[in-house]
Amino acid sequence: MLARVGMGDRAAFKALYGLTAGVLLATAARVLQDRHAAEDVVQEVFAHLWHKASEAATPSAKTLAWLCVVTRNRAVDHLRKRPAEVSIHGQADDGEEIVHDAASEQPGVFEQLSFEQDQQRLQRCLGQLDPEPRQAVLLAYVEGLTHVELAGRMRRPLGTIKAWTRRSLMALKLCMGSLA
Amino acid sequence: MTTYWHQHPETVDRLAAEYALGTLAAPARRRMEALMTQRRDIAQAVGSWHERLGGVLAAQPPLPVDPGAWHRLESRLFGEPRKATQTSAWWSRWLSQVVRRAAPRTTAPPRGAWRSQGWGRSVIPAGTLAIGLLLGSVLGPLWEALRSTTQLPESYVGVLANADGKPGLIVSSLRKGLTVDLKQLSPVEVPEGKTLYLWTIDKDGQVHAVAAIPGGAFVSAPLSQPAEEAFFPAVELAVSIETAGAAPPQPTGPFVYRGLCGKLWKLPAN
Repeated sequence: MLARVGMGDRAAFKALYGLTAGVLLATAARVLQDRHAAEDVVQEVFAHLWHKASEAATPSAKTLAWLCVVTRNRAVDHLRKRPAEVSIHGQADDGEEIVHDAASEQPGVFEQLSFEQDQQRLQRCLGQLDPEPRQAVLLAYVEGLTHVELAGRMRRPLGTIKAWTRRSLMALKLCMGSLA
Repeated sequence: MTTYWHQHPETVDRLAAEYALGTLAAPARRRMEALMTQRRDIAQAVGSWHERLGGVLAAQPPLPVDPGAWHRLESRLFGEPRKATQTSAWWSRWLSQVVRRAAPRTTAPPRGAWRSQGWGRSVIPAGTLAIGLLLGSVLGPLWEALRSTTQLPESYVGVLANADGKPGLIVSSLRKGLTVDLKQLSPVEVPEGKTLYLWTIDKDGQVHAVAAIPGGAFVSAPLSQPAEEAFFPAVELAVSIETAGAAPPQPTGPFVYRGLCGKLWKLPAN
């Protein structure tokens, strides 16, 4: 379908919009925590896609996941252009960075996801991570949180958060490679 | 000899992972972005991480989309929202090539065979055979092409024959769409004050009205109900000539196009 959009097929473009806009809106809204800003991001993504689809598609790309990544990155760009809002961070006596922020009341990100058949491998590998490191990785990716913001949200030292994300990513890579 | 981090594949991969995750600090992020434009391996490493993680984003429950959002996007990109004519449906250029390729192999029935029997609403064996041959030659390559190379949106498609048994009209609608797209391959003459009218024929041979077809070789018409409701019971599609502006419950004249109604989507695996 992306290839047909690249050829200027408006009907394919509309069909792609109908199939993906809801998930892309969820992706952007999760990062920005602002529906109107998220709608703007989704519009930008589709406008860019219409003009650049012929350059964007790669044979291995899974269209929805790829569009989600594009949307998420654009939303993160928007987020980081905003002035900082609530986090207050500084350094403790031992040099450890500390952050005061509200912990999330929401259930874990992992529990809210609904994986399709072709994403079972990812689901299984994420399921093998310990809950807190997994939550750190997912919050970073799905909500665009930085290490410092993760430390505040999860009420853990910054060094712990960095170690969690680094080890979790490498564990994911190993797991997904071994199941490939 | 000085070595840099980007000369170590393990470090490249670790930083690519952090870049994709979004946890690199701003200066490091900018350095990665600069290097990605120069170093294909670094760009590929980041791409691989997005490919690994992208499924997480796609697994999020969708949010309801404001129905006006599409129209705003359409206006932004194309000016005014598209009118119900001059469509450029996905199948048009592609299917016309299929039809052109398939048409020479069509075994047409004797000229006028259907016309001599009025080509009316009853099932006519010769007509059915001709439609079958036509559909076999046209939809066969279509199905093959769909199965092997594409993932087209779920749609209803009919390639209707004219009274001479030749490809006459292509009808298509997205499965959950609210419009039907039509392309005349062999135009018929429509008298002043008359219009072409699309019908469905169900398995019991009952005829149901769908919509008046605007004039033109390549048009789109609004449906009064979702395509799924209009076309799901249909075994065949047919077109007659009716008085413009009328909403006849049944065709008042013979069909000028008729053909099978195809459902282009995979059945769920058992």
